[in-house]
Formats: sequence, structure tokens, C-alpha cells
Amino acid sequence: MHNRSFFRIFMQTGAWLILAFLLLPMLVVIPVSLTDKSYISLPQDGLSMQHYTNYFTSAEWLWATGTSLFIGVGVALCATVLGTAFAIGCWFLSDRMSTIARWILITPILVPPVVQSLGFYRFWVQLGLIDTYTGVILAHTLLALPYVSISVFAALANLDRRIPQAARSLGASVWTTVISVVVPAAKPGMMAGAIFAFIVSFDEIVGVLFITVRNVQTLPKMIWQGIQDNIDPTIAAVATVLTVITLVLMAVGALRKS
Amino acid sequence: MTPGLLTDRHRYWLLILPALAVMIIFYIWPLVNILGISVTEPEPGLGNYALLAESRPIQTSFIITFRVAAITTVFCLVLGYIVSYAIYNASKRGVGLMVALVLLPFWISVLIRSFSWIVLLGRSGLVNDALMGMGLIDRPLRLMHNEFGVLIAMVHVMLPFAVLPIMANMKGIDRSFVNAARGLGASEWTAFWQVYFPQTKPGVLSAALLVFVLSLGFYITPALLGGGRVLMISEYITYQIQEFLKWGTGTMLSVTLLVATGVVILAAARFVNLRRAFLERG
Amino acid sequence: MTDSVDHEFRRDLVEVAAHRYREGRLTRRGFIAALGALGVLPMMGKGAMAQASELVIVNWGGTAADIIKEVLGDTYTAETGVPVVIDGSGPSAGKIRAMVESGAVVWDVCDSGPGSAIILGQQGVIQPIDYNVVDKSKVIEGATWEYGVGNYVYSYVLASNPKMLGGNTPQTWADVWNVKDFPGMRTFRKSVRGMLESATMAMGVAPEDVYEALGTQDGIDAAIDKFRQLRENIIVWGSGSDSQNLFLQEEVSMGNIWSTRAHLLKDEMEEGSFTVTFNGGVLSPGVWVVPNDNPAGTEEAMKFIAFAQDPELQVKWLELIGSGPANPAASPLVPDALKPWNPSSPENLATQILYNDEWYAKNQIAAEELYVDALIN
Repeated sequence: MHNRSFFRIFMQTGAWLILAFLLLPMLVVIPVSLTDKSYISLPQDGLSMQHYTNYFTSAEWLWATGTSLFIGVGVALCATVLGTAFAIGCWFLSDRMSTIARWILITPILVPPVVQSLGFYRFWVQLGLIDTYTGVILAHTLLALPYVSISVFAALANLDRRIPQAARSLGASVWTTVISVVVPAAKPGMMAGAIFAFIVSFDEIVGVLFITVRNVQTLPKMIWQGIQDNIDPTIAAVATVLTVITLVLMAVGALRKS
Repeated sequence: MTPGLLTDRHRYWLLILPALAVMIIFYIWPLVNILGISVTEPEPGLGNYALLAESRPIQTSFIITFRVAAITTVFCLVLGYIVSYAIYNASKRGVGLMVALVLLPFWISVLIRSFSWIVLLGRSGLVNDALMGMGLIDRPLRLMHNEFGVLIAMVHVMLPFAVLPIMANMKGIDRSFVNAARGLGASEWTAFWQVYFPQTKPGVLSAALLVFVLSLGFYITPALLGGGRVLMISEYITYQIQEFLKWGTGTMLSVTLLVATGVVILAAARFVNLRRAFLERG
Repeated sequence: MTDSVDHEFRRDLVEVAAHRYREGRLTRRGFIAALGALGVLPMMGKGAMAQASELVIVNWGGTAADIIKEVLGDTYTAETGVPVVIDGSGPSAGKIRAMVESGAVVWDVCDSGPGSAIILGQQGVIQPIDYNVVDKSKVIEGATWEYGVGNYVYSYVLASNPKMLGGNTPQTWADVWNVKDFPGMRTFRKSVRGMLESATMAMGVAPEDVYEALGTQDGIDAAIDKFRQLRENIIVWGSGSDSQNLFLQEEVSMGNIWSTRAHLLKDEMEEGSFTVTFNGGVLSPGVWVVPNDNPAGTEEAMKFIAFAQDPELQVKWLELIGSGPANPAASPLVPDALKPWNPSSPENLATQILYNDEWYAKNQIAAEELYVDALIN
């Protein structure tokens, strides 16, 4: 084998460079968050935790973080329950109608965020849901449903159809079969779906810009306003906290898998 | 068909219905309303749609949108292909890390990534600082507040969306054809281009569709890095609505963007397995 | 109905106040005084408000409204016992009219603009200003109307960063269009408000003739064309904080921004790296209006407006937030260091023109379309 061929070296080096392009910009927030200056810069005369102190002592930032966590968990719960039931129903049916239903449920992936947000805004005004937690949780649940239903459906692909049939023929009701046979098989998909749903909600910005005013302040909204208002290293500190948490969770996930 | 089976079907539908009903009532219906507003405000008729033919900024904004989406797609495909190829065909070392690095950006919000690019590309950003510090330039380069800045950030956001379908496709490819071609004396490049690449086309097309469609609706990145002059349709819509309260124009543009997205998807259906591209990814 | 009030400026002003408050430049007391002067709360006059059970002042809220509410609720009630309701929901002309027509008026004094004051007056939904109580002589010329009276002023001004320009700062709009001698990026607003005027002056039109020149389609096209020529050097600002940020990050070396934001920048930028000139500025007043059948009664509302004319208060609020006194008597009281930053000082008034609401009511929508086209096409 010509393992050292130019083509191979090109592809491999290229890949690592591209991966560096993916990774490095996200890491740049780390040194910036430690700067001793009050503006965006690399640390100059030493490292400083002041921007972290700023974040962790700011009622506004903490409240927004809490709000985003609360909404994210609510969305993960709602979307996982609804989306799992949906995917299980579709899996049992697996006919033309249920495929159409699956297409309908994934529309939020394809519709541009601004377009759907206009829709939310007008309808939420009519329903009195503007600037309410219910309104945000509902909107985010809709955006998260596609991910939950796709991942649960994918998990069910590995379930042998004869198993629920056997349960049924032994006299179990549809509901018992679903709970005791199908849901356990769907669990990995539900877990993945719940995590997806949480992330979708936790990161969502365009929708909240339209359907909230100032009663509901989420973390992305604070960051958005921060970028618009005064780009200061506190945002870098917030970004670093989120990035590091993500990295740790990914590492934990990878370790558990292996 | 026994009555028992019939009720079972009903029960399955009972599982499906809550999610489906919520989606139709709170998502599809508001979208239909948008269509309604576009033909009723400020007055009933197709007056808003006439702007598509009359208004030059609207036309330009659509051109910018499609151009930015197309360039983003091309870059993502090339870069994504190289990464995927390396993952499946390079040495075993580091493959796990490569996959992890591709997936990582998915978990970091677009907003934070845009912020990172602002930190890097600003006039007094880190890239300019570094270049000036090294004496390579004596005046800061204009890296953002223009199309360049928007493109670089959009490629960054979209790249993982290109890698995944291509990777999924390459996973199923049997290397033995390539090896056979090599055994018959084809150069590595010829074997790749004539034998391997054609087999990866479905993945590439799928990736192209996904990246292009998602790029069409981009808002955050152009708004933050475009300096107001890379006015993609999504930003134009918010501009019409927030600045001038022109809901008619804004919703008309929304409907047009939605239709354009739909047309792109339907046109792609001939080349791309839509089920695999959208319904079964995950 | 055309609502030509620049809503965004009003919202921005409250953000400016909050910004100051967070910075610690405003003491709590100063903050309250400033807001009082801005009409966000009634003044704590000696018994002036004693009879009123409640006075509702309406302004434009903004992200800072929470802080305002918190601060105001605590202290004002503690000091006077008079409950104050601050409504930051934005008294747009449409909302004022809807409220009056519905018969359930809950607003007493609203921070509006000249255009709205005229239109709402014609529609008969707001009350004439009682110039026996409110002193006309305490308002700069051109800022009093039958149904509204100026309460503060702000300007669109030419700001620049001398450090980035090697000390050679632009003095006129023509300089701003001179990319060769004045390099760097410029910032202009995302909307034509206050912008077309500068392009017109850059063509050599005398300030007093600007709106006449813009009165014809040719004049508008010519101004738009100026932006087309300059566009490779333009970064657009969407919000007041946007414009501030562009200067702070040194993304731009000059631009046309609100004087209130310039006021913040002068303290935030390094010494010698920020300056403004009011030469060719466009001055715009904020205007009090009082809806029909306001709950606290006409007399109370007028008393409040009159009280807010106090020159010392107005100077205070220039110091704190940067909006200029509407009362000419305030100018001499302005500390020397601040005089160059005061949009309504006699020197600065002499070189500015007054924002023409009628022109905007007639031409804005069409001009915006052309403007966007010039910038992106």
C-alpha cells in the first residue's frame, strides 16, 4: 500500500486543519474570558477571574441562566413525552398516513427561524402568551419535537416487531405492550431526544427575540443583548462556562459508552 | 379485518395525535396565518407580492441570500468531504477524536460561535492583533462587517451538517472496488475520482441540500457579522417588521422564502433521498 | 396614521440611563432626579403633587425598565407617599388614540414627538397645553405646539475618533464623504432618519435649505446616491448601543450617531480618541403630550410639565444622561466641560437644523426603500 502517497497526506492534513478551524474559534473565548482588561483582549499583565465574578454575582445573568435551565427542562419533558408517544404510534402503524404525520412533525427543521417566529408572535398575541414562560416552553417544544421523534423512531428500528406482537397475543393490552415492551426499547432514543430537546431550547434565540419582551429573559437573549450593547469579556466568561460544561458532558458520555 | 385490529389502529393514532395536534394547531396554523397576513395587510390583494417584481432591495436581498447560501454550501461540501474521507479512509489513529471534533460544534450555540468570530475578526480582534504584532500588516484587515465575515462564520456553523450525511454514506461503501482499481494499475487519484467518488454522490447531494436549505434561513450570523450590508432575507424580514411595522411586506417575504425553500427541496427530490436526508437522520 | 415619533430614540434614552446607573456614574438619587426630569416620574415638588393620588408617566421602557421600576418604586413612594406608576410600554400615537377612544385612559403624561403631537391634536385625542401653567419662554424656539411641548432635545451628530484619524478629524459632512483624507469606516443609521440630511449637506447644500432640497425626488435621489458612493466604507448601526459599540471596538473612525450615545462615549473612550461636532447636526425634541380625560386631571399634568421645566433639573439630566435641556435658561448653568456636548447650547443650536417631522411623514417610507437599496445593491 502507498500509505504515504501525496493524496492521502493531503486528505489527512487537510482534515486536521479543517477540524482545527472547527474547534479553535470556540476555544478562543477561554483566554479572552481570563483577561485582566475590561475589554475584549488576551490577558496582558496576568490572568483575572473578574469576568467570572461578574457573571456569578450578577443577578441578571444568574436569573437568565436559571430561566434557560427551567425552560429547557420543561421543554425536554414535554417534547419527550409527546414525541415518544408519537414515534411509537407511527412505528406501530408504519403506513402511508403515519409517514405523512412524521413529515408534518419535522417541518420546524425546514422552516426558517424568522418565518416561524413571526407565526408564533402573531398567534401568541392572540392567545396572550407573549412574554410568558408557557409561551416560550410551548414554542420550544414545537421546535424540539422533530428531534425527539426522529431519535425515538431511530431507536425503535432495532426493535423486533414480533416481540410486541407476542405480548399482544399473550393478552397484553396495547397500553401494557407500549409501556412494558416498546418504551424500554425506545429508551436510548428518548434519552437522546430529551438531551436534544433541552439543547434546542437552551440555545434558541430568534424565537425568544420575537415572543418575549422583558418578563422572560433567557441566557441566549442576554448574550444577544450583550453582543449588541457592549461586547465585554463577561460574555466570554459565560461562553467559556457553557463550552467547558459541554466538553465535560461529552467526555463523560464518551467514557460511559466505551 | 377483525374489530380488535381496528381499535388497535385507533389506539396507535391516540398516541400520535397529541403531538400531531399540537404541531398543527400551534405551528402549522400560525404559518398559514402568515400567508393570510401577506395577502390582507395593509389591504387585501396581492399588492405585497408585486413588490417582488418592483422592489430592487428585495430582489437584491434574495440574490444575496442565495449567493451566500450557495457559497457556504460549496465550501462546506469540499471541507466536509475531506474530513469525512479522512475519517473513513485514513489510518485508524485519531478517528474517534475526529468524529468527536466534528460533533462538538453542534453542542455550542450559534450565538456563542458568532461571538467567537466577532472576537477573532473584529478590527481590533485577535486575528488583526496577531498579524499586526507579527508585523505582517500595518493596517487592520477588514475581516468582518462584510460578506467574508458572514461566510466564514456560516461555513463554521454548517460544516457539521455537511459532514454527517457524507460520513453516513461513506460508512456503507465497500473499499474493495477501489482496491481492485488500484490493483489494475489506476493511480490513487484516478481510483478515487472514477471509482470512489461516484459512490459517495448520494451523501454529497444530501449534504448539499441540507446545508443549502438551512443557510437560506440564516439570521443570527449575518445580523451579527454582516454590518448591515449583507442583508439576507431573514434579516430583511425582521427589519421590515421591527423598524417599519410593515407586516404585509415581512410576511410576504416569509412566504416567498418558505416557498423558495420548498421548491429547492422538491427539486432536490429527484437526486436526493428525502426520507434519508430529513426523516431518518438522527 | 403616520406615526413619525422616533420610538427607538425614546427607548434608547432609558437604556442610556440604565447604562449610567450600572456604571455607577449615577447615584441612586441622581438617577431618580434624571428620570424625573425625563418624565419617568413626577417631581417631588413641595406639595405640588399633594392632591394627586397617582400620576402615570409613560415612556419607552427598554431593557432597563426593570431596574427603573425597582429603583423608583422603592424611593419615590418612601419620599412622598404618592404612588407612581411608570409605564414603559411606549406611548405610540396609535396606542394613545386607541386608549382615548376606548374611554379607559390610564396615562397622564406621555413622552411623544412633534409629529405625533400634531396628528393626535388634529384627531382631538390629546389636550392642548395650558400655556398659563407651562411657560412657553422656558422652551427653545420651535419646540412648542398647541398640543405638545418640548421636554428635552437630542441631536444626530458627527462623531469621530481623532486617534484613528491621526488627529485630523472631520468637521463637516463633506469631510465624512472624503474617504481619501479621512480614511476608515463610517457608521450611519439603518434608517434614513437624521441621515439623508447629512448626505445633503455633504453636497454643499446650506443647512437651512436641506429640507427644501429634499423636497423633490431629485433631491432625495441625490442624497441616496451619496450613500451609494460611500457604501463600501459604511457599517450600519441598528440600535443606539450598536453605534456606541462600533466606536468602542474601533470598528469605525467616524459616524452619524445620537448625541446621547456620544455623551456616553466621551467618558468611555480614552482621552483624545472621541469627539463630536454639532456642525450640521439635526436637532429633535422630545415632546410631552397629555391624553384626553387623563386620570390625574389636566391641572396635575400641566403642573408636572411645568415643574419639569426647572433649568437646574434639566442641566442635571444633561449631566447624567446627555439629553439637552429644552429650557434655554438652562444653557448658562451647564458646567463648562459639558458645554460642547450640550445639543441645545446657543453655539450648538446655531449650527444645527431642526428635524422636520412633516418631511418624514410624507417621504420616509419611500426613502427607506431607496436607502436600503443604495447600501446593499
